[in-house]
Amino acid sequence: MIPLQFVTAFLMIFMGIYAFLYKRNLIKLILALNLIDAGIHLLLISLGYRLENGVLPTAPIYTGYETLKGTPMVGPIPQALVLTSIVIGVCVLSLAMALTINAYRHYGTLDVNKLRRLRG
Amino acid sequence: MGSDMGLIVKTMARATIPLIGIFGAYVVAHGHLTPGGGFQGGATIAGAGILFLIAFGLNEAKTRINKNLYSALEGVGGLVFLIAGMLGLGVAFFYNTLWHNGPIFNGEPGTLLSAGYLPIMNLAVGLKVYTGLVSAVFAMALFRRWRK
Amino acid sequence: MTLPFLIIIPLFGAFSMPIISLFGKKLKEYWALIISGATLGVAAKIFYTVWKTNEIILYTLGSESPIGKGVKFPIRIVWEVDLLGALLALTITFVGFLAVLYSLGYMKHDTGLEKYYTLILILELGMLGIVITGDIFNFYVFLEIMSIASYALVAFRNDTWEGIEAGIKYMFVGSVASSFILLGIALLYGQYGTLTMSYLSLKIAENPTIVAKVALAFFIGGLLFKSGAVPVHMWLADAHPAAPSSISAMLSGLVIKAGGVYAVARIVFSIFNPGLHAYLKAFNMPSINMEAVGWVIVFFACLTLLIGNAMAVVQTDMKRLFAFSSVGQIGYILLGIGIGTLAYGSRAGELALAGAIYHIVNHALIKALLFFVAGAVIHEVGTKNLNELSGLARKMPMTTLAFIIGAAAIIGLPPLNGFASKWIIYESSAMYNPILAAIAVVGTVFSLAAYTRVLFTFLGRESEKVKSAKEPEMSMLIPMLILVVAIVVMGLLPWQINDKIMLPTARMLEQLNGEYMVALLKFLGGA
Repeated sequence: MIPLQFVTAFLMIFMGIYAFLYKRNLIKLILALNLIDAGIHLLLISLGYRLENGVLPTAPIYTGYETLKGTPMVGPIPQALVLTSIVIGVCVLSLAMALTINAYRHYGTLDVNKLRRLRG
Repeated sequence: MGSDMGLIVKTMARATIPLIGIFGAYVVAHGHLTPGGGFQGGATIAGAGILFLIAFGLNEAKTRINKNLYSALEGVGGLVFLIAGMLGLGVAFFYNTLWHNGPIFNGEPGTLLSAGYLPIMNLAVGLKVYTGLVSAVFAMALFRRWRK
Repeated sequence: MTLPFLIIIPLFGAFSMPIISLFGKKLKEYWALIISGATLGVAAKIFYTVWKTNEIILYTLGSESPIGKGVKFPIRIVWEVDLLGALLALTITFVGFLAVLYSLGYMKHDTGLEKYYTLILILELGMLGIVITGDIFNFYVFLEIMSIASYALVAFRNDTWEGIEAGIKYMFVGSVASSFILLGIALLYGQYGTLTMSYLSLKIAENPTIVAKVALAFFIGGLLFKSGAVPVHMWLADAHPAAPSSISAMLSGLVIKAGGVYAVARIVFSIFNPGLHAYLKAFNMPSINMEAVGWVIVFFACLTLLIGNAMAVVQTDMKRLFAFSSVGQIGYILLGIGIGTLAYGSRAGELALAGAIYHIVNHALIKALLFFVAGAVIHEVGTKNLNELSGLARKMPMTTLAFIIGAAAIIGLPPLNGFASKWIIYESSAMYNPILAAIAVVGTVFSLAAYTRVLFTFLGRESEKVKSAKEPEMSMLIPMLILVVAIVVMGLLPWQINDKIMLPTARMLEQLNGEYMVALLKFLGGA
């Protein structure tokens, strides 16, 4: 059976893709990009999460304490991946906002269908 | 409308900005021990900077924020990160020679002065993220005056 | 070990640029020139080493060995450089160096130059990272570094609506493509629990599930977006003309190759090796049908080379014409890779891959030259509309000569380098399936028509706008002349280059004996 968080993750990805295809406002498109990214991050994070004998895993900080107590840790690699991916997402987000502000300055609108001057 | 907020917001901002900054500095400094690290701490401190920008307005921020200094500091953060990575170049790029051979940051795991180059890198990344995010938001705030 | 310096030097240059620019106005330009020159030296050294020893360099970040303590699988980030990676690194640094040199004159009148040079170094860094990495998430990070730098560079002249609109289109399409690639990586990681490419290929061969196939589909889809294959090429035709010309040269010559077709080749041949899966299939074990993947690539390649070249014929904007021509040439490269996948292990497949790799290098040089020419014309005349540009040949003879060489090379006339690579692609596709060769030749006919039109414009009667034009300054002429010399020299020794460099590269990419995996397995011992 498929775990619930995977279903949620793919739902978020598809919602993002739907919004990306059918929305026309630039800000909403940026939100759609972030929604897709958030879905992938949820998928990655939930890959590292595992229940061992019904015990909730703890944060992946290795100091020797967890092994003494015998509680499992969540996988550290997906967390590192997601953190990197979030940082990249912040870069894309700020660049997208800057470009959107510039587009509003030149075109006076945020409608993506009006950004059609390049032709040929 | 002036570019700054009212008295209540300003007073609250005065009270909370140092606290936010200190919490961010804590997150950066304990990056190798607790959840968080350079990016998260730096983003928290940048939150303080953005709060300053919003509460006190663009004109006040212009007198306090020197764009050249910020971009130079951003470069310094990156350079320190790079040099920390290059310290162990004799073995491999990003080899943690401070942790394996000393002389500093090679204490007991779990204490503040441990984990080799990680604290140095966290500080560098924190500096870079703080200056970078504040510069980005500041640049976007300057955009408000596009109608001449 | 010189390999880490390939990343360290441009990173150092990019981080120190804001500090350097405080000290002097001209200093930052020379600093960028020194940094990119030093990177070129390092890349040449690495290429020479790999070519001489014919062995894959495996470099582990942070330790001597990629294998973790007490476990039997790689846990560290590795950089794995085979001949293809080294060759592309050399091409990237060469064209990047020339683009920086060209920018000295071309970008003289712009402001914010320290950000421009920082971004150009970061762009170079991202591409170098893509071609040397052996870790799939590391690949994604470098891909994003490259993409973000190129979005920002396309929109660099933010006082023009052109750059902003092109930048927004490029950014949205590129970000969705990157998300697809990240989703593919997440699926592969969830299924196999590793990120090292060579170990992943073993794991996939052990247990090829439906998840691996879905991930492969996401990879191919995202990378076709990034390389500008036809159904999704519109962003390319907007973004490449709108960027400053030195950036167009890098985007068209390098970015769509390193972040597009190179990555397709790496994923198809190094992660999902066709030979390995054909072998598994022969023993009736579960395997991935790589032939279908090959046909998908060939289908998009044919579409790309027909439509890209045909669209180039009807353009009136010079840079847009060159951009559509880039789409067409990407079709040839994809055709070579597709046939290499289909005819894996045979002579035709090897030749097709060699032709594709050869064409990547040739097209990087030729398209850089053509965009430099376009930039010189824009700089001197102020327009890129072909109807207003007639009669440039008398006023700008050197530029016209460079254009003639470039156009002849991209069409594939015999004494120039484009001929050899296109010939190899035609020959190998004729060996595999003559219809594909016919389609490729039709594409070339369109390309010939497009460039002949530009050539007649250059040689025609002088128009009003051209009257006051003159040759560009030396810093813009020198890169063009260097590229002309490179194209002519490579054109004079086509078969030697093919036998000495391209065929070994193709063999190493094909890895008939699993060299890419063996380089990692050596550390495990015994295997």
